[in-house]
Amino acid sequence: MPEKNIEFGKYGADGIKGGDAVADQLDKLAGGITTPVTAKRGWTARLNYLTRTGHARAAAKAAGLTVTDRTLKAWLEGKQKPSRASLEKIERVYRVVRRQNVAKHLLKRLNKDGRGTRIEIHPLNQSRVAQRNKRVLTHRDMNVRRWDKLVGAWAAGDHRGLEDAWDDIIGDLGSDWGSYEYVTSVGFAA
Amino acid sequence: MSDHDFEAIDSLLSSVIEQAVLPEPGVRRELRERARLSKAQVAKALGVSPSTLSGWESGRDPSGEIRTKYAYLLDGLAAKFATEPPAVEDGVDLVDIDPASEETPSEAAALAPGNDEPADDVEALAVPEPCVLCGNPASHRMDGFAQHLDPADCHPTPTPPVAASPAVAPAEPGPAADATPAPAGSAPAAQASPPVSERAVRTSRPASRPASVKPPRGRAFQEESGPGVLIVQAVRAALAEHGGDVDEATAALIKKAIPDAMALLDETRKGARYDIVAHPALPKVLRKQTAKGADQVWEARPKWTRAVPPPGVHEVTALDMNAAYLSALKTHLPIGQLEHSTGFDFDRRRAGIHLITPPTWNHSDVLPNPIGQRDEPGPLWVTEPTLRLLLRLSGPKHQLCEPPEIHESYTSGSTENLLEKFRITLTDARAQAIEDGDSVTLEYVKAMYSKLVSTMGESNYNRELYRQDWMHLIRSQAFANLWMKAWKAHTEGLHVVRAMGTDELHVIGDWRHVFPEGRGVTEVKVKDTYTIGTTTEDHTTTGERE
Repeated sequence: MPEKNIEFGKYGADGIKGGDAVADQLDKLAGGITTPVTAKRGWTARLNYLTRTGHARAAAKAAGLTVTDRTLKAWLEGKQKPSRASLEKIERVYRVVRRQNVAKHLLKRLNKDGRGTRIEIHPLNQSRVAQRNKRVLTHRDMNVRRWDKLVGAWAAGDHRGLEDAWDDIIGDLGSDWGSYEYVTSVGFAA
Repeated sequence: MSDHDFEAIDSLLSSVIEQAVLPEPGVRRELRERARLSKAQVAKALGVSPSTLSGWESGRDPSGEIRTKYAYLLDGLAAKFATEPPAVEDGVDLVDIDPASEETPSEAAALAPGNDEPADDVEALAVPEPCVLCGNPASHRMDGFAQHLDPADCHPTPTPPVAASPAVAPAEPGPAADATPAPAGSAPAAQASPPVSERAVRTSRPASRPASVKPPRGRAFQEESGPGVLIVQAVRAALAEHGGDVDEATAALIKKAIPDAMALLDETRKGARYDIVAHPALPKVLRKQTAKGADQVWEARPKWTRAVPPPGVHEVTALDMNAAYLSALKTHLPIGQLEHSTGFDFDRRRAGIHLITPPTWNHSDVLPNPIGQRDEPGPLWVTEPTLRLLLRLSGPKHQLCEPPEIHESYTSGSTENLLEKFRITLTDARAQAIEDGDSVTLEYVKAMYSKLVSTMGESNYNRELYRQDWMHLIRSQAFANLWMKAWKAHTEGLHVVRAMGTDELHVIGDWRHVFPEGRGVTEVKVKDTYTIGTTTEDHTTTGERE
């Protein structure tokens, strides 16, 4: 790891790991059901998505929707309402399955037959850092050609993998790449 | 003192020369354009930057050695055009200049009919120089000496050695002969007329431009590599693809207007100082609160109708501001990430959104409120153009309201030029399309700017640009522009009856002396006319609808 990021935020800097910022943007691009899971419309829509086909059911099960078919049927028919813990589970599983389903398509768009996608890196927020501890950080642009590792880690929910993939990417920024380990946000289109 | 010292003085004296006389700024530009030289070419030859040259062509004057060089160039150009009628330009396409049309003016002149007797040694001077024979200002140079071509003009004080003049006079070609109006016995007139440059301009210009020949349209010779080419190429390709079917081509172009506008935007930002930041992290106030809902920013859209119309029966004209959103692209846009700040004075180098308490507006009977039809009281988030409008109206010049109270702001360093080249490219394409009656390009240009503005926020139709702040700022700028138009109408003595949306202004009175009518971006067009008055309450439309 580049030095001085070991105790990130000690002097008041604010930001998130670059890999997480990429995951946020990928989530935004993946889209999905926006109604909150707590509303009936929200959780029924998610359940329908997760049980529409046999393949979807298998994926949901693998992702951790460990409820009996009987309960699932009762939920879908409206005879029973999921508990709060179950709602959280539904939301979590929905996100995982949605990512897996969208990943292939998103990866193709981001790789663009090897031309890649331009990303904007917005540096961490230093507004609360004392002047003597501030770094010179500018907004950076770069083209990322290979997205396989990033999107793969995102789809698998692999936090560590995202971090590694991000470190691989920012190596191309030059000698101050370590300053971009943490960022405010990463922007790109797909 | 040694000889050496005198040499130094001599060289100093010889370096003090009279400043070369330059023609008027307008003429300078005209000469360059007629020669189909770009600013960059000329600037390179003179060793200055193109913007310096622009300055010289719009009123500034060079000095020193460079002035002499520039005068020499203009002299040469003036001479070229005075002796040769200009090439016929009508067949030249605006953008696609084929090599055949780029031939030098002399070749073109040789081909042009009616030019059988070129006077090869005679040059016209843009600025008159003293005649070698009589000393009076002469506007032609022959064999390197400034002199009068017509012996009637030339009245030397000593005995005239007029050997050269008679030999040339019969061979004079038509245009050059017109250059010096020489009625018989004009000696006193020639003596009396002051040798000012204005006269030189008048005498050399009609000669070099017969009325029948059009000047080059637009900046044809510069457009070759400009961003406008993208528009022309897209239109051509669409027309070719649909076999010249105008409706189908238009539909196809409108369908790809958003990606094309983004490509054009990229093209116009080549070599620009600032990068366009397309995906900044935006503050919460700019996020939609619900899926269908709006964010918290108030764009100050006017929706105002005068409550009590002036007494009597009046004819109201509904005016439509042309291409309001296109003009509104010129606004102060924040470049980077918006930063939060509270309790500060307004900084005009930054732009963004501001939480303000608007001032009370006491002129609603005759003028719309500059913050629009706001029903809820209390502070609200407004954009930069609205705030600037309020500050302007509260200033010493207008004094229409109190200054607004700014509570907090999200701003970033701003520039007015971010979309300027983009705007100019589209404006030029639009003007050209109107001139040519080209409905395909017109619709395409319209779709490009309007769709770019409406999708540059959180839209799934344009994922390349997520700038809700810009979208709000541009819209507000259009509304502020409309408000200023209403204000202009009001101060010019018209009655403003209604201000609606982005581009609709209803006025009573003779508006033609306030707003020029037409289709250009600075002009207005009539949407409708109707009568209001104390007798008829409802709007009676009387036609003239476009």
